[in-house]
Amino acid sequence: MSRLRLLQRDEAPLPARSIYGADGSASPLKRSLANAPDLLETLLPFLGQIYDEGAVDLATKELVVVRVSQLNACRYCLAAHRPLALEFGVDEQQLAAVCDEIPLDSLADRERTIIEWSDRYVLDPGAITDELVARVLDYLRDDQMVELAILIGATQMLNHFCTAFDVPPTA
Amino acid sequence: MSTQTTLETAVEEGRCGDRLWLYATYHCNLACGYCLTESMPAIANRRTLSAETMIRVVREAQELGFGAIGITGGELFMLPGAAETLAEIASILPTVALTNATLFTDRLLARLEPLAELDIALQISLDSDEPDRNDAFRGPENFAKVERAIPALLERGITVRIATTVEDQTEDELARLCVLHRSWGISDDDHIVRGVVRRGRAELAGMGVTPGVTDILPELTITADGAFLHPFGPTVRHGVTDLDLLVSRQVAPLERAAERFLRLVSDQPVGTDVARNIR
Repeated sequence: MSRLRLLQRDEAPLPARSIYGADGSASPLKRSLANAPDLLETLLPFLGQIYDEGAVDLATKELVVVRVSQLNACRYCLAAHRPLALEFGVDEQQLAAVCDEIPLDSLADRERTIIEWSDRYVLDPGAITDELVARVLDYLRDDQMVELAILIGATQMLNHFCTAFDVPPTA
Repeated sequence: MSTQTTLETAVEEGRCGDRLWLYATYHCNLACGYCLTESMPAIANRRTLSAETMIRVVREAQELGFGAIGITGGELFMLPGAAETLAEIASILPTVALTNATLFTDRLLARLEPLAELDIALQISLDSDEPDRNDAFRGPENFAKVERAIPALLERGITVRIATTVEDQTEDELARLCVLHRSWGISDDDHIVRGVVRRGRAELAGMGVTPGVTDILPELTITADGAFLHPFGPTVRHGVTDLDLLVSRQVAPLERAAERFLRLVSDQPVGTDVARNIR
């Protein structure tokens, strides 16, 4: 059971009601965030930009989001992003690899390199070497690395939030 | 456009009031059946605003162009130093302070004497001219205590208003109540009669009317839980604050909450307020 109130639309603060659909629906995460409507003014546009397609394609982004959520064992984010990853072009084998169901070696060089860098970014950023960055730069530009780095940070934030408050995948 | 100008325009257009409300505390020595905030002696979460916070908010309110202050609760006089805090607040802006007037010992009355020189009214709840009827709403011996307090305050030159919350009182009963307050020298203009709002404990008891968002004049209301659209917003059910009329969690600086409040009221149609005289 969530440790935060999951507000229904008619319980939610007036400034937060725009995050609900016309039928009053919203994800459990949004319903929990509605407790702090001031933050939504900047947080949701921020997350929208981070998670939307930018300099990096959505398949790569979702692959990284699922991997980071797997490392952080976030039940909520895995349930939310595994279907999204498939929708945006990640294949079943890639998904199984980043979820540790099959070896990461099964990934193509590009994806394996990006995931290697993502893993270090999450688990031990001090261990990122110039050599690893050089390999990532074979596949991504500087600005794309920045975009993925911010995406990883945002995903970690949400992983911790959902896990700490036990936000349920469905409610 | 500055917040001050936006507020001035909104008040002129009738979109909101220029009074800012403070919920001093949710702690109370009474446990009225229609209480919006489930206030009572044993309340678990008192949600008290410190004197420093209240005074800061009032100073900021004055700078932003608010014209008056309302203080409610809970019972303000459960707080140590309430008399002195009230005097300081009233020296900044005209103030109305809601109280049940049951804690006015001679010592407290003496500490309240400086209020006679300030633009402040104590708004005292009284629901019937019949002690038993009044006390059924508001608790044992409430009538007797109020009946002692009002003349004592008036003798000291402190302005008193009466507020009556109507649930099932008869017209005759309300008329007799008016005779009573006039006998104290309190005019009809200083007698507020309003219905029970079906929120908080009143909702659980099935009392009162359910107001729509636009039925009540928006007046920025500051509590320990954040800023609300009007003083009927920060209600409590089963110990949990209702958030449906929350405007902002952030109340410092007050301007941030005021901006969010004004953004909301600017979206509301003009002239829809006070359909039920709920103020």
